[in-house]
Amino acid sequence: MIAARNVRKTFGSFPALSDVSLHIAEGELVALLGPSGSGKTTLLRILAGLEFPDSGSVLFDGGDATTVSARDRRVGFVFQHYALFRHMTVFDNVAFGLKVRSRRDRPSKGEITERVEHLLSMVQLEGLEARYPSQLSGGQRQRVALARALAIQPRVLLLDEPFGALDAQVRKELRRWLRRLHDELKITGVFVTHDQEEALEVADRVVVMNQGKIEQVGSPTEIYDQPATPFVYQFLGNVNALPCRIRNGQAEIGSLVMPAPAYSRVADAFGVAFVRPHDLILSRPGEGGGTCAVVQHVTILGALVRVELSLDDHIIEAETSRQRHAELGLSPGQLIMLWPRQARFFLRDGWEGTSLESPEEAARTSAML
Amino acid sequence: MDTVPLRPRAVSEASWVKLLLISIGVAILTLFLLLPLATVFGEALSKGFGAYASALTDDDALAAIRLTLLVAAIAVPFNVVFGVAAAWCIAKFDFCGKSLLTTLIDIPFSVSPVISGLVYVLLFGLQGWFGPWLKDHDIKLIFAVPGIVLATVFVTFPFVARELIPLMEEQGTEEEEAAVVLGASGWCVFRTVTLPNIKWGLLYGVLLCNARSMGEFGAVSVVSGHVRGLTNTMPLHVEILYNEYNYMAAFAVASLLAMLALVTLAAKALVEWRFSSEIAAGARL
Repeated sequence: MIAARNVRKTFGSFPALSDVSLHIAEGELVALLGPSGSGKTTLLRILAGLEFPDSGSVLFDGGDATTVSARDRRVGFVFQHYALFRHMTVFDNVAFGLKVRSRRDRPSKGEITERVEHLLSMVQLEGLEARYPSQLSGGQRQRVALARALAIQPRVLLLDEPFGALDAQVRKELRRWLRRLHDELKITGVFVTHDQEEALEVADRVVVMNQGKIEQVGSPTEIYDQPATPFVYQFLGNVNALPCRIRNGQAEIGSLVMPAPAYSRVADAFGVAFVRPHDLILSRPGEGGGTCAVVQHVTILGALVRVELSLDDHIIEAETSRQRHAELGLSPGQLIMLWPRQARFFLRDGWEGTSLESPEEAARTSAML
Repeated sequence: MDTVPLRPRAVSEASWVKLLLISIGVAILTLFLLLPLATVFGEALSKGFGAYASALTDDDALAAIRLTLLVAAIAVPFNVVFGVAAAWCIAKFDFCGKSLLTTLIDIPFSVSPVISGLVYVLLFGLQGWFGPWLKDHDIKLIFAVPGIVLATVFVTFPFVARELIPLMEEQGTEEEEAAVVLGASGWCVFRTVTLPNIKWGLLYGVLLCNARSMGEFGAVSVVSGHVRGLTNTMPLHVEILYNEYNYMAAFAVASLLAMLALVTLAAKALVEWRFSSEIAAGARL
């Protein structure tokens, strides 16, 4: 069990973390997701003991570890750019954490060799023991870094943008492989990423961060389906943000009126409606309800078709299937009926991520039409 | 195409321009570097090899060589320790006064060596600030070997640190952080991670520092007092012999210093050639 409690950290006058609390259960794989500058890497480094919080505490297995040095925390840390020891072979890199132990705790030479070889076979790098890091590909270096971190049998594995520097193909492969490895070893893990797809695919739980604060913590489905704040909505996947007017439990987006029961006590306020592109149902005029929009642009993306529509001066993005596209015969200039299957509303004041409502209440605002 | 040109033809100059530029380059090199070097050895051997050997085995010459080696043997290790410490401190840590320290390290480069020698005379000489106190305690710094060592250390101080700071800054602190997280102590991190990463830069620094400490003239000239056989280093001995119109002997001793320069360059080239792949690997990652 690892936890951060009310952690604050500033660099000069820049608040990197303001009052962050997080609890990570045994055996869990958690993603810290956020844009650059959101404080995710700082939080990870504080957990590792490479930075120290200005206030707040870090707990390891219930005990206070805030002042324990990185050296004594027994964490595995995988750096974004691997940070392999460039003058050491792959073998020596992986063996480093075992060799530097005091004589009392150091395994014998034979044991070290055995352990290193086991780790290298686990990360599928058998036979490369004598290579230097400069002779390896990016993906191989990343796996050496992982083996080196695992060699000390860490209490938690911390990974800083582990796949950031790799190309798309290798990244996908390593992602799946990390997930499998985690399922086999049952090790507690925290990784930092700015790639929402990566976070949703690999993690058990996702922590969305923005401007030094935690916006939302939840399972990948929760985060995607029930974003707690406008920021989470925008950060995870494509979304249309449309200005709307909220009056007595109803939201007006142009000529479209949708129920917004959570705001039944709001007499009149400006708000923003969030609609995912795939939640927009398109139909021919006369065939379905909704509001009328004009097709501007049609892009075919594999199995999906992205349609750009204009609705009262706003550009809206919708996604539909190839089949539906063929049925409707979509082409620029065409009039089409628009029907949001689902939408979420936030009041204007809540725009900067400070929602006026509790997350539970916000979740209920999801209006089904 | 058999050969790959270094530059595409489109941005290459006409052949007469190339020829002209190369000729100018070679002419300048010959005039300013090769010719003087040849003159040194030519003059030194002008009266035959026997005279050359006896000029070098003269008592005063031998004393000068011994003193030069002694000074280098003290100054170089001293500057290695302090240069590495200063570079480590500046490149790997953030603290207030860092830029001031960087500037301080550069002072010996920007100040004329004669001035630095004079400063020592003003501080430690008989009429200097600490002069009376040193005299009372019977410590002789100026016009003695300790003063020469002091002046040499001062003048050669930046060589090691300057060579290492950019290298260490470029390498960053991630490897050290990785080592700490893996459980290594501070000293262990330095010995197993930092030092191996800077060894080639350190070697260059040592070679340059050594060459300069043996060849330093200005600062040493002020504090030495030119006592033959006692406080004369090789460069000072060359000057004395030259002023006495003993050209052959002066050039003979000078040829040793010239050879030191050549050996230093050769050693540097050898290291670069022999370990080129390792050096490149270290720089690339």
